[in-house]
Amino acid sequence: LGSSKFDEEENRIVRDPGQYQPVTRERATATKLKIELFYKQNVQHALERNQRRNDLENRLASEPRMSEERKNLQRLNFGSQESNFLRLRRTRMVAEDFHTIKVIGKGAFGEVRLVQKKDNGKIYAMKTLLKSEMFKKDQLAHVKAERDVLAESDSPWVVNLFYSFQDSVYLYLIMEFLPGGDLMTMLIKYEVFSEDVTRFYMAECVLAIEAVHKLGFIHRDIKPDNILIDINGHIKLSDFGLSTGFHKTHDQAYYQKLLEKAQAPSAPKSADRNSVMVDAIHLTISNRNQVNTWRKSRRVMAYSTVGTPDYIAPEIFIHQGYGQPCDWWSLGTIMFECLIGWPPFCAEEAHETYRKIVNWQESLYFPEEIHLSPEAEDLIRRLITSADQRLGKGGAEEIKRHPFFHGVDWNTLRQVDAPFKPQLKSMTDTTYFPTDDLENVPDAPAVAAMRAAQAQGNMAPGPGEETGLPFIGYTYKRFDQLNRHGGL
Amino acid sequence: RPIPGGIARPLFMCKPYINAHLLKGNFKTIVVLPKHVDKAEWIALNTFEFYEFIKLFYNTCREFCEKKCPTMSAGPGTDYYWLGADRKPRPLPAYTYIEYVLTWINNRLTDETVFPIRNSHSVTAGQTQIIASPHGMQDGQTWLGKETGFPYNFFSNCQAIFKQMFRIFAHIYHTHYVNMVHLSLEAHLNSFFAHFISFSREFELLDARDLEPLQPLIAAFDEKNIFQGVKNAPA
Ligand SMILES: Nc1ncnc2c1ncn2[C@@H]1O[C@H](COP(=O)(O)OP(=O)(O)OP(=O)(O)O)[C@@H](O)[C@H]1O
Repeated sequence: LGSSKFDEEENRIVRDPGQYQPVTRERATATKLKIELFYKQNVQHALERNQRRNDLENRLASEPRMSEERKNLQRLNFGSQESNFLRLRRTRMVAEDFHTIKVIGKGAFGEVRLVQKKDNGKIYAMKTLLKSEMFKKDQLAHVKAERDVLAESDSPWVVNLFYSFQDSVYLYLIMEFLPGGDLMTMLIKYEVFSEDVTRFYMAECVLAIEAVHKLGFIHRDIKPDNILIDINGHIKLSDFGLSTGFHKTHDQAYYQKLLEKAQAPSAPKSADRNSVMVDAIHLTISNRNQVNTWRKSRRVMAYSTVGTPDYIAPEIFIHQGYGQPCDWWSLGTIMFECLIGWPPFCAEEAHETYRKIVNWQESLYFPEEIHLSPEAEDLIRRLITSADQRLGKGGAEEIKRHPFFHGVDWNTLRQVDAPFKPQLKSMTDTTYFPTDDLENVPDAPAVAAMRAAQAQGNMAPGPGEETGLPFIGYTYKRFDQLNRHGGL
Repeated sequence: RPIPGGIARPLFMCKPYINAHLLKGNFKTIVVLPKHVDKAEWIALNTFEFYEFIKLFYNTCREFCEKKCPTMSAGPGTDYYWLGADRKPRPLPAYTYIEYVLTWINNRLTDETVFPIRNSHSVTAGQTQIIASPHGMQDGQTWLGKETGFPYNFFSNCQAIFKQMFRIFAHIYHTHYVNMVHLSLEAHLNSFFAHFISFSREFELLDARDLEPLQPLIAAFDEKNIFQGVKNAPA
């Protein structure tokens, strides 16, 4: 084909992507990213498969008394597990593969359902996230990377993610179901915790946050609703790569608006907060009802896309940069809430909360009628303080050494008996979830999507084509977890 | 791009594009059947994935293809015809042809009697077994994937799918490569195509004469040892 002279000839074209429709350019970008991810994952799969095979061979080699026949059986077994995994990778999971037992939670962009996988009867929690909402609110950027790392972390402190998939309307996360509900429900039930109980949850949170930090992440949205309780009463942090909290409450523009509001001489009332709520400072131990009225309105707020700023560190609002210490601030505010009954900067409206957080020196107030041990108060004060003074800025060890945690055995914490162990009648008992509040949420995600679309005055989104740019890689199936946790 | 002898050199054969690759090295690690793994399952997964990605590439050409391609051409003198229900081959606009092909492949991939998914592999008494009996079971015969629930014509189904997928590649290369360049997709396409060829060589999914329209490109990749470590080209 042609002379060698021609082989040398370069035939450069001046690239002009501008001649294409935006949809084509988007498709091109998506194709590139997907292909890159595909090869990255393909190589990863090959490496992991080899690793598993080596592990098997090493195991077999260390069993000199096992017959060759048995060993071959193990190899066959291994092969069929691997083959099952391949089969799973080409299984297009759809929402219809799951049957809804009950709606158990609601977030800003969708709901959490207790579901059963139709083919194998296994129980999971399915979180749905409405893609259109996420698009609209620009909540896209960091979603993927964080989710990947956390999903891969396989830490006992982070909720396990088994599968994820998407259709034209929703992203779906299929997670392990934690039957104990969340810390917010627990606080609604018990109002306040004793110092011993508080110590347990705070100590577990310290380890959980430490685990997240060690992975190189900052949670940024630790709050009682994100602290879930497992079957034994131990905590796990909810999957926060997609936790909408970060993406909604940490939206710079949103903060800017809050800032403007807070500085305006008389901020107009907004519907951010339920109006039955009163200023936290006036809440006292004798006003327990109000505490819970407040909490319930908090629950309602968790359903809105506005989110609560109650647990967010001031540096996130003010400065451009913030680091891991912001999670320790959140921990301080949760500890305050556990012992006192409401979070320290609670106010009727979000911008007022915001103002209080920024002026924490003046607004942090311990009600006199509630007795706290000096250690407890000291720890809270060392956490709710400026980032450069905050305990934990030099690592979780600093917090673990605080006298409040005296006597905690950090190594066996997850193995000890938890103060409240969920009393469950069955695998699908939802006693610990506010299911009554969620009665009008449709069982089927598709119906929920239709309603959401109608409420926004849009046509129901049809099953369109996926360019799926922000959600690339959103088909997640992890071998180890499926295998170990019985997903296969 | 006239070359001596009067035939235009296709853009995909020109430098620098022919040298553009997303991936370095060869495809051995991701192509060769992993040890202990069921071969039919491996081919099934890869067929599924090639389909998903060829669709993506074609989608980036759609805008043009729909307007500009009256036939399913793959270079001068090569037009693919669609075999109608009456078994008569007829020309179709490339856009329609590819729509048909993609739908046809998709229907197979989602047909559990062709690509089973719901049942799982298990080992009993030293033998890999599948819970349900495979569709189209024929007495005494054996075939690829028999023990793991694939139908007797599984392999020929895959060959047919690969053949059609190859035609989409051929059409993209010969007609839409310039679109690929404008969209900076040429390195991705080259690597993906090389992967596709590696895989079809390793498992003998394509006939040498099917490869004709892109033979020069394959030869050029061969020269760069891109297919090293997988089985050789079919004679
Ligand atoms: N894996 C799970 N098992 C049991 N319940 C869960 C699980 N995940 C979430 N929930 C319940 O659903 C509620 C909402 O879930 P989640 O907090 O993850 O969503 P979100 O509110 O959208 O996120 P964010 O809190 O960041 O706004 C939780 O407070 C919890 O009660």
